[in-house]
Amino acid sequence: MTNYLNKSIKELNTLLKNKTIKPIDLVEEAFEKIEKDGLNAFITLNKEEALKQAKELENKEVDNLLFGLPIALKDNIVTKDLRTTCASHMLDDFLPIYDATVVKKLKEKNMIIIGKTNMDEFAMGSTGETSYFPHTKNPWNEKKVPGGSSSGSAAAVSSREVSLALGTDTGGSIRQPSSFCGLVGLKPTYGRVSRYGLIAFASSLDQIGPMTNTVEDNAILLEAISGKDENDLTSSRKEVPHYVDSIGKPIKGTRVAVPNYYMSETIDIEVRNQVKEVIELLEKAGCTVDYIDIPYLEYAIPLYQIIALGEASSNLARYDGIRYGHVTENYENLEELYKYSRGEGFGNEVKRRIMIGSYILSGKNANVYYRKALKVRNKMTEEFKKVFETYDLIIGPTNTNVAYDFGVKSDDALKSFYDDLLTIPVNMAGLPAMSLPIGFNHEHLPIGMHIIASYFEEEKIYKLASYIEKHLHLECNPKEEESC
Amino acid sequence: MLVPTIGIEVHVELKSKSKVYSTSKNAFSNEPNTFVNEIDLGYPGTLPKLNKEVINMALKASIACHCHINKRMHWDRKNYFYPDLPKGYQITQQDTPIGYDGYLEINVDGQKKKIGMERIHIEEDTCKSIHGLSGTMLNFNRAGVPLIEVVSKPDMKSDKEAVAYLETLRETLLYLGISDVKIEEGSMRCDCNISLSEEGSDKLGTKIEIKNIGSISNVGLAILYETKRQREILENGGTLKEETRRFDDHTGTTILMRVKETGNDYRYFPEPDIPYVELSDEWIQDVENNMPVLPTELRNYYREVGINENAIQTLISNIELSKYLEEVKKLCNPVVAANFLTGDLLSYLNKKECSLESLHMSKEGFCKVVSLLEEKKLSSKQLKDFLPVFLESKKEPEEIMKELGMVQITDENALLSMVKEVIEKNPNSVEDFKNGLDRAVKYLMGQIMKESKGKANPQLVMELLVQELKKY
Repeated sequence: MTNYLNKSIKELNTLLKNKTIKPIDLVEEAFEKIEKDGLNAFITLNKEEALKQAKELENKEVDNLLFGLPIALKDNIVTKDLRTTCASHMLDDFLPIYDATVVKKLKEKNMIIIGKTNMDEFAMGSTGETSYFPHTKNPWNEKKVPGGSSSGSAAAVSSREVSLALGTDTGGSIRQPSSFCGLVGLKPTYGRVSRYGLIAFASSLDQIGPMTNTVEDNAILLEAISGKDENDLTSSRKEVPHYVDSIGKPIKGTRVAVPNYYMSETIDIEVRNQVKEVIELLEKAGCTVDYIDIPYLEYAIPLYQIIALGEASSNLARYDGIRYGHVTENYENLEELYKYSRGEGFGNEVKRRIMIGSYILSGKNANVYYRKALKVRNKMTEEFKKVFETYDLIIGPTNTNVAYDFGVKSDDALKSFYDDLLTIPVNMAGLPAMSLPIGFNHEHLPIGMHIIASYFEEEKIYKLASYIEKHLHLECNPKEEESC
Repeated sequence: MLVPTIGIEVHVELKSKSKVYSTSKNAFSNEPNTFVNEIDLGYPGTLPKLNKEVINMALKASIACHCHINKRMHWDRKNYFYPDLPKGYQITQQDTPIGYDGYLEINVDGQKKKIGMERIHIEEDTCKSIHGLSGTMLNFNRAGVPLIEVVSKPDMKSDKEAVAYLETLRETLLYLGISDVKIEEGSMRCDCNISLSEEGSDKLGTKIEIKNIGSISNVGLAILYETKRQREILENGGTLKEETRRFDDHTGTTILMRVKETGNDYRYFPEPDIPYVELSDEWIQDVENNMPVLPTELRNYYREVGINENAIQTLISNIELSKYLEEVKKLCNPVVAANFLTGDLLSYLNKKECSLESLHMSKEGFCKVVSLLEEKKLSSKQLKDFLPVFLESKKEPEEIMKELGMVQITDENALLSMVKEVIEKNPNSVEDFKNGLDRAVKYLMGQIMKESKGKANPQLVMELLVQELKKY
């Protein structure tokens, strides 16, 4: 089997341009790998259409870096005429009638959609286990969770079934699986990428972002999907920079903050030590690194439970069995139609979150919980802004730990939220942040580092990340014998 | 004495070109589900847009109702399940209505009164459910049509005040050009809240809501009935529960729909998909500068120039006529023009069931007729024969008059001999004139016009007649 999908965007672009390979070679390689791997990274494959498109592209000029490259999309991003399920029984036969804005943008670049990737149901979960479909395995160790909710995108990119994917991040759903599977995952600034066509979980937190094997690929893909969209009022008019220009730029003088909260004893010692090594590397490169306190970070999880679940309870009200989605077979009246369709269509985690969210917004609770949470969220945001008056970037671990065994947290509804302890504050403030692989633990499971920037300063993240990536020179491929 | 206190909520469909949160067409169609896109259907992944035209229309309504404007406003989600609500929530403005704390001035039997305006806010309509034998069908053409909800304060004390309030509101919105305000067609929907309390008491009684009343006059009837019903119950020692009723126009009574349970729980929260909208002073000023003339202002002008009350009422309730008068009032005598418009011209339009706009009548032509009438060259009697020809041919007014033999006799000698002849034939009238009875002149005048088949110039005849009579 060929292994072109281990290569970077620029390498593949050169090969396509000088006709060493054709798009169909990449597409065929992707499907062969997917079928052989058995990772359950995909829910729906776009095989027929992808092969057809690859053939058609043979007669076209390779006019941009992403031309003819396969990409995987998380299954909560709608694709016209291609089944989009949100990994839920509720939508397991749902054929969207339109393309999400990001999908349109990728199609304009002549990228080839390989399929729709597995995830936690409606992006609710951090292990992939809440999927209605067989859960995704971690390519590094199939007994371990791949992380979630963008489980399939992470596993597919990590195992080189594809080299590029889109995920979505509401509380860490790009960064945590990227960390668990050893890849580069970025949650852009809120408003950088259009949410039109992203099936909403928590509207004020959701963002689509690139998941790749290299920092440079990540920068190229982000540029392709960013920009103002008239269909999304929350998208920003701010000009989209050439992110790739930041790769390899000098980092001397960069002011870096490390929140003490991110390096506390709650965090696994191996993870902390790995981050400390990177800090030394940065100091040697002429960066200043200070340990600081950021107030309100400790409220991240209750804030998430109130704001994200409140919004989710409303966003998921539209699945009522009337216009699309699962409809119960037996009902006598309207109330039964609602109850049974929703009862049968949604899984337990989704139901639990809808119930909590509805409770939080009910009557007086709206003031006691929701409005108070919005105030705390503003405070937290202000604190981040203060930090960025002095510092260029905040770094720390992406997660408290590395990938763990399946089933460990699925019996405890609260525990899984704690995976997102360090990632949620970023969504609350709407900041951009990346998870970058920086090493492995004693079981050879990847460790991810978190790089957080101020609003629309993704360039600073790419600059620092590309430096670290270059100097660590990790072989981050679970299939390579010689890896690390 | 138990007296009613009345508050009214009105939902008004705005006639913007497109829907409030999507670019689908906002119009009536006989074909169901034709003006619909993925946003209107609440498809997964869709997000609302925001129609600026709707904001401007709601601003107009708020300014016309003397409201304060929320210069920084957001939208909220009102969550509930119903098949006509595609997203499972309605996007509305709960916390920051675009307009608040205003008033409308009404006139009841010559008495002016200000009715307080609680709020005006923007929201979306639901889709239309059609209940049939085979089940309920849904037409999404209406889903996302912009509405404003106009909520009065409980300031009305009688059915007459309620009716006057609704008529004033309807007129105002019609003149703003933001809605068709047709209650029969559902573009204006009225809910009334009525409670009874002792006259002069601050304490309000139990609130009863009457939903979706089909016409303004029925609002009056519903309030009268409801006042009587509640009064009877209370005076007989009974108590009332908060409930929702509907008005049955066949029996003229209100019928219980449901008893209100402990407050509906709509789980309101700020709509995260629509950022705050800042209405700058320039924006508001711009809308204010482009406000059309409103009925109150028009009435004042009409009275000032001396148009009679009947014609004023006819003009106000026929917006096409009052708009036309606005255009021509500087080009001709507005009083004569008003009488012409509300008299023969309106009868002609009604008879032919057509609009003023559809006529082949130039403003110059209209003004020419007005000055002919003003100079009495064309009598009101002649006008009846003249008008259809004028409106249906493209000929000049003078030409038509000539063809119809309506050219006046202005030759003084000819007229004088007619005057003399009539005076000689009617010695009794001459006596009456000497005794100071005005009707004598009118009678003789009529005789001369009859004699001349209406062709005598009345002004000249009058002068000659008086001159001749004085000789006796």
